[in-house]
Amino acid sequence: MNTLTLPRLTLSAEFRTVAQRLLAVIVLCIALSLLSGAFLTVGNLVNVLRQAALIFLLASGLTLVILTAGLDLSIGANVGLSACLAGSVIQASGSPLLGVAVGLASGCMIGLGNGLLVTVLRLPPFIATYGMLWVVHGLTYWFMAGATIHGFPPAFRALGSGYFLSVPIPVYLMFVFLAIGIGFARYTTWGQEIYAIGANPVAARLSGIPVNRRLVLVYTVSGAMAGLASLIFLARLNSAEGDIGEPLTLPAIAAVLIGGTSLFGGVGTVSGTLVGALILTLVLNGMNLLAIDANWQPLVTGVIVILAVSLDVLTHKGGTAGR
Amino acid sequence: MRRRLSVVVAAILAASVSGAVRADGEKIAVFTKNQTNPFFQAVRLGSENAAKQMNAIVFQYVPTKPDSIPEQMSQIDDVVVKKPDAIVFTPVDYKAMTPGVAKMNAANIPVVNITDRAEKGSFITFIGSNDYQLGLQTGRYLLKTLGGKGNIVILEGVRGVITNQDRMRGFNDALKEFPNAKLLASQTGNYQRLQALQVMENLMQSYPQIDGVMAANDAMGMGALEALEGAKRTALVVSINGTKEAIEAVKAGKLLATGDYHGFSQGCLSVMAALRYLRKQPVPKEVILPVSVIDKSNYQPYDVAPEQRGCPKWDDMVKQ
Repeated sequence: MNTLTLPRLTLSAEFRTVAQRLLAVIVLCIALSLLSGAFLTVGNLVNVLRQAALIFLLASGLTLVILTAGLDLSIGANVGLSACLAGSVIQASGSPLLGVAVGLASGCMIGLGNGLLVTVLRLPPFIATYGMLWVVHGLTYWFMAGATIHGFPPAFRALGSGYFLSVPIPVYLMFVFLAIGIGFARYTTWGQEIYAIGANPVAARLSGIPVNRRLVLVYTVSGAMAGLASLIFLARLNSAEGDIGEPLTLPAIAAVLIGGTSLFGGVGTVSGTLVGALILTLVLNGMNLLAIDANWQPLVTGVIVILAVSLDVLTHKGGTAGR
Repeated sequence: MRRRLSVVVAAILAASVSGAVRADGEKIAVFTKNQTNPFFQAVRLGSENAAKQMNAIVFQYVPTKPDSIPEQMSQIDDVVVKKPDAIVFTPVDYKAMTPGVAKMNAANIPVVNITDRAEKGSFITFIGSNDYQLGLQTGRYLLKTLGGKGNIVILEGVRGVITNQDRMRGFNDALKEFPNAKLLASQTGNYQRLQALQVMENLMQSYPQIDGVMAANDAMGMGALEALEGAKRTALVVSINGTKEAIEAVKAGKLLATGDYHGFSQGCLSVMAALRYLRKQPVPKEVILPVSVIDKSNYQPYDVAPEQRGCPKWDDMVKQ
């Protein structure tokens, strides 16, 4: 077999899989609107979307990595370093634009580093990005020395806390990158090649796909998205410290997997990742609205995540998720 | 307890009998919980400042993964082999580090316990702040400023962490003193800025009127302020730790107050206590730093970088 038949997925197929996955979101939303009068208000829904945006932006690049059967454990650390670098550049230079450039460049460089470790040194992605996580943490701790950078100009803050037509800016970014992600994965040869690499790397190589170059690309994209997420983070919180990104790593990976992307590669969608991000956000939102005791919150989170994915598996028997 | 007392008594006796002062250059290992919390950075700066002043050398041991129990455990193994003259120790977990403390005790290295009181083990002394009082007094300050009434939200730290348990008790006892204040919700932000921001955003959806916020640390207080500002709402916010950022926010009139956790002084006094013990000078069995609430009226002395502050004098801080 020297020609690879790619599973050319159509947009309607993408909608179908996402519609199935949305079932869990809809069930959650109905339950929450019955339990809390505050849930189904414009203010709260805007709130949920804005909170989901950060996790989605981080997880969207990661989705491509996982589609190649790879993994990027360094995204949280990447957010930390990129935010700290961007933040200190903005404070030193007073130029938000320069800060944005530095944040994105830092994200890209870390991602590129991962890509090279995975391809040139042929390290397993888990090890390569786990190593990178520590390198990046180390650089951040050294750079920050326990300090906190805070206070940024309003022009920059708008990126995270601003509105356009009463919709938060991060929500626009989320939809823009959702569209780019779907378009890239579905309608470009490169996107299709990424699915092929994940499905069968040997076949992909034999059929002439430049596997290494595509892998470097996806890790760099994942790093760049972490850089972008770091800017949103910085602009929303108006401050940066060394450990800000770490609590985001596992939720981002979870969002991708809850959204139906397989850790074994070749199967999944960027829009599914949005659903995953929404589920995780709704859980926190719901627990706060219902004022659930903090002792129970981890348990509730776990049960809802398991139920949400079970619901998807049960209503979609036999098929591999996301196809 | 008894053992700790007898150690102190022995030290005092030894000092009074011999009066000898040991040579300088003692090596002291300082254990803190993480590299990310500005509080522990202040502790480390304080410890270095005191060591310099008293001609000793400090070595810092910090887990690379914040608050990692196995990592601190293996650092203890390393330190026990290197045998410094004394150890200044913050357990990453007050219960789980008990075997580690036992190892240090078994190696006969004198240990000063700081910040978080370890559950078991023998120590020269404990140096720390009083988390319960911090919670009580910052909470009380908020409620007094609100005239004893209003809708209150609490942002909790990490469940199971001793500082959070004590601060929560303080907040809740403060609320009991003001029956006209109403606690709307007590939710966890896990000591994290982003989570506190999101929790606050969510709570503002349920509660159209929030008058006051008690946050268990400064990062969460700052997160809550960002959420309030983003929603164009106002509420008075108090938090705890007295970090540089919080003091600047107090100065700018954004944060109502922050409870001083004395990171720098804790670092200073812990090294001083270890050196006093080694040099046969008396050390009390515990030093609890006075709680102060930093607000607009008294922030000035704190508005300098801790490294420029210089250590307080032992005799000013420790009432024998």
